[in-house]
Amino acid sequence: MTTTKSKRVLTDEMIAQIREFIPRYPSKQAVTLPALHVVNDHLRYVPLQAVVEIAEILELRPADVQDTLSFYGFFKQDKPHGRVRAWVCRSVSCHLLGADQVLEHMCQRLQIRPGETTSDGSLTLEFAECLGACEHAPCMLAGKDLHSRLTPKTADEFLDKLIQ
Amino acid sequence: MAAFEPVLLANVGKPDSYTLSAYEASGGYQGLRKVLQTMSPDQVKDLVKSSGLRGRGGAGFPTGLKWTFLPANHPGPIYFCLNADESEPGTFNNRILMESDPHQVLEGLIISCFATKASTAYFYMRYEFPTAWDRVNAAIADCYRAGYLGSNILGSGFSLNVYTHRGAAAYICGEETGLIESLEGKRAWPRIKPPFPAVEGVFRKPTVVNNVETAACVTQIATRGVEWFKSMGVPPDPKIPRDAGSYGPKLYCLSGHVNRPGCYEAPLGLTVRELIDTYGGGVPQGRKVKAVIPGGISMGLLTAEELDCPLDFNGPGRYGCLGLGTAAVVVMDETVSMVDFLHNSCQFFAHESCGQCTPCREGTSWSLGLMKRIMAGQGRLKDLDLLLEIGDTIGIIPGTTICGLADGAAWPIKNAIRKFRGEFEEYIRRTNPAGWMKTDPVPAMKLVELH
Amino acid sequence: MATVIVDGNEIEIGDQARLNGIQVARLAGVEIPHYCWHPGLSVVASCRMCLVETGRRDPKTGQIQMTGKLSPACQTPATDGTVFVTNSPNVKNAREMVEEDLLLRHPVDCPICDKAGECSLQDYHFQHGRAERRADIKPFTSRRQVLGDSVTLFVDRCVMCTRCVRFCREIVGTGELMIANRGAHEEIAVFPGFPLENPLAGNVVDLCPVGALGDVDFLYSQRAWFMDSNSHVCAGCSTGCSIRVDENQDRIYRLKPRENPHINQWWMCDEGRYGWKHVHDPARIAFPRRQDGASRQDVDWSQLPAELDRALRKAGRLAAVLSPFLTVEEAYLLAQYVRGIDPQALLVLGPTPVTGEDVTFPHGFRIHAEKCPNRRGVMQVVAGVAGEVISWEDLLAQHLSTGDIRGVWVTAGNPSPWIDDTVAAQFEGLQTLVVQDLFESGLTARANYVLPAAAWVEREGSFVNFADRLQSFRWAIRAPAGVKVEGPLWWQLTGRQGLYQARQVLDDVARAIVYFSAACGPVPEQGIDLKINQLAGVGQT
Repeated sequence: MTTTKSKRVLTDEMIAQIREFIPRYPSKQAVTLPALHVVNDHLRYVPLQAVVEIAEILELRPADVQDTLSFYGFFKQDKPHGRVRAWVCRSVSCHLLGADQVLEHMCQRLQIRPGETTSDGSLTLEFAECLGACEHAPCMLAGKDLHSRLTPKTADEFLDKLIQ
Repeated sequence: MAAFEPVLLANVGKPDSYTLSAYEASGGYQGLRKVLQTMSPDQVKDLVKSSGLRGRGGAGFPTGLKWTFLPANHPGPIYFCLNADESEPGTFNNRILMESDPHQVLEGLIISCFATKASTAYFYMRYEFPTAWDRVNAAIADCYRAGYLGSNILGSGFSLNVYTHRGAAAYICGEETGLIESLEGKRAWPRIKPPFPAVEGVFRKPTVVNNVETAACVTQIATRGVEWFKSMGVPPDPKIPRDAGSYGPKLYCLSGHVNRPGCYEAPLGLTVRELIDTYGGGVPQGRKVKAVIPGGISMGLLTAEELDCPLDFNGPGRYGCLGLGTAAVVVMDETVSMVDFLHNSCQFFAHESCGQCTPCREGTSWSLGLMKRIMAGQGRLKDLDLLLEIGDTIGIIPGTTICGLADGAAWPIKNAIRKFRGEFEEYIRRTNPAGWMKTDPVPAMKLVELH
Repeated sequence: MATVIVDGNEIEIGDQARLNGIQVARLAGVEIPHYCWHPGLSVVASCRMCLVETGRRDPKTGQIQMTGKLSPACQTPATDGTVFVTNSPNVKNAREMVEEDLLLRHPVDCPICDKAGECSLQDYHFQHGRAERRADIKPFTSRRQVLGDSVTLFVDRCVMCTRCVRFCREIVGTGELMIANRGAHEEIAVFPGFPLENPLAGNVVDLCPVGALGDVDFLYSQRAWFMDSNSHVCAGCSTGCSIRVDENQDRIYRLKPRENPHINQWWMCDEGRYGWKHVHDPARIAFPRRQDGASRQDVDWSQLPAELDRALRKAGRLAAVLSPFLTVEEAYLLAQYVRGIDPQALLVLGPTPVTGEDVTFPHGFRIHAEKCPNRRGVMQVVAGVAGEVISWEDLLAQHLSTGDIRGVWVTAGNPSPWIDDTVAAQFEGLQTLVVQDLFESGLTARANYVLPAAAWVEREGSFVNFADRLQSFRWAIRAPAGVKVEGPLWWQLTGRQGLYQARQVLDDVARAIVYFSAACGPVPEQGIDLKINQLAGVGQT
């Protein structure tokens, strides 16, 4: 199954970015994860059609790419995640300091469950396993920003800012 | 106890510490110069071997010894993987090093590649460190411009390329061969061993995988020498055959119920009590310690009576824990329910199990199911026996699994239930007065699946 | 000579042998249970069912040092001094653990699962499992997903042995099957729009140790314990895969490959696997008949052989068309019979069906374009008896048109249409035309005698494959009532007494024709390479 130009999901820019990785590795398959990130960075998800196109570029089968993609639980495939993806850590240090309650508070306010996106497409709320920032527990990674010592109050402040 | 003058964390907190100019201004890359100009790769291997440096990623394998497993006179290419996937709950020292002092890590990486004759290094970093990602990539670019990377580094004839490779939120990518499989673009299922990575690693070529903190130690060993490194720590225990000792400084991560969570540098051998009281400022609100994780959640638990446990490679094992791990200490005060803790631990491992081998895939899932049922007030005393049986049987130590994730899943179960059995039994009896004594299989609980 | 110790017993293996613990234990009569290991696939050691205790015996002191932990037997090489312990309490506990683990989330819907009776999960549960269920009970049936036209997946029965995935990646090279998700959520899947449809797809059902993968063709049609398994050889092409025919009361339900390292390793292609439908096709010619112009009369087999014999003797110059679907023995008997009547009778090699090109897969399995099982064998019989082989084309182009030939016996047995009316018309005007075939054609319409042919599974004898390998087989099912199988028919016509003895005929062939001389002795189950005794210059392709 080759891709017709009309159905194509990967832009020329994405394809060029993916190809840049190829010389770094002796095997094209090693570019799978970098390619998934390129697509995810642009589209905020990796639809099945993108998997087909990535496979074409890397001379793999779609099943190979999908196998790897689905292992990570990181890439959404049905629709783009929110413009901001907020990961609230739920591992031991953050859990001890009330992370679950903060996450639940945010879920209640936004009326979504973890993994879901607000209806205006602005925010996806996720739980994460240890974010490697335990000194900031309970912490949340939103985009590139690490939020420290999250409370329901500071979470509300974060959400308020987002709405503006 | 005299305050220890940080070496690994020396640059942390200084303005622009992560830039090349700041790093060079404070003497950076002198170690690399010395190595390239005056030493051969084998000499560097011997240097690191004699330093007694043991891997800081969690397994504590002697680094110099690991380097000697590479086949001699291999035509190449030899690959080096820097394991920056740091995901062990409680651990964050790699992140701090990469955010605040990436050049210290890179210098150690380059020296390590010179020693092992690796021509390409992959810097595998977990996705959730965006600041470290940006800074490490900038640092690498600066290194190429400055001639510390690329062809014929500093005129030595040694050439090295370093490429960053970004992960996607999977704990098992921190396992040596899981990382290798992930790097190759496949699902991160750890490989069966033998063959070991030094013989057949990434792209089926000889490969060394080392931790970020280990690389920083290599920098300091090259810069300050073996005697400096061995001047701190704990010598080998004569009672343990082939004990390699616990030398050098360690970055201890302290978090949980402490007044001053953070990353602290001190020689190996610091006790848990010292770390909590002296560095961490004790437990907030004057509460008492109830349990402490000594080295990342995989290592298990110490009780309040076990706080004199020294944090070296042998200490935690003497107190029934798995080992030193990442020396990430998580403090739990008296308000913590061990049942709740164990549920959180089982939830982590069930989520992160790669699923390849039966005992881990099913054991972690079963233990989570048992903990959910207990938490929901439908537990039985028999469940504790089942949990202990799972904990006693899964793992690479008994040989029933392919990698050590299962051991990490098992130790919290074993330690929590054995060291806090009374609390578990009380919880079960209290929350399930009608059924705690039942032993027949019960119909499964309806569970609401998250995510 | 290397010595391996299994449960205290010494087993000698060759120094060149590359065996693992499972294989060497078999030599000691011990069956180590396993799911994920397969001799034809890469070793993953992931199911952990084959865990055993291992150690080394010091060659000098004889002292045994065990490693102290369990190791998978599948990834432990058996070398000189390797010690395996397969029956200790540790090993038994480990097996109980793995078995219990696999049953935790398993639907246990055996009553509606095809695999019941031949399922490793069932068998190992009884042999190695725990007596009581300790996990929460959650009765459910498996979700089902279509993977392709020939294979269906019962998702929740899967034990994640990954044999099917590895097969498609390593043996076929098409890699349609993948694993989705992580941990306990893992499932086998195909990528949407890329179904499982390679020419060897059916093998994954053989490989699946449980009832997760189902054969769409076979699904729900028969219980394993009601079927008899009969060793046979596939007649789909000249590869000649060793197979077994699973049948019940002479109805075929499925074909499966037999292990043969010389030919098909552990595999067979889908064309062969599902190429038995014609055997039970109601359109098969059911009874022999005599035809005279427009009139057709059924003839009894008690009278027919004698009548055929008289008709052929009256006819004059004879020709016999020996189909590449005949066995070696049948070809020899027919050749002898016809030459017995007319010493100058033409022996013609029947048309060889060729479709497409040979297809070779990674690791060497090949499907041949030559879609018949025994061209080589029949041709060598003809060459051996007549000294030359007349081709079907020559028969049509030269010999039929001269009018010298008055009587022809045509054997066919090709499941597909093989002769068109124009060619059939060339057989008009013969005094006696005997056509022995599976289905009606333009040729049977013009025949004086139409005899029902036996299907390949109903025959007993030998085929020679593309690599000169001769395999012998017994009939797997009885032919329908009106069919007299070719072998017994010509056995009778050549005057031999008693029941048909294919082995005796093969002895005659091996003595009479040099090409077959290696078949003088007993033919092993995996066949015999006839080239062993080939003299230079004899037996050309």
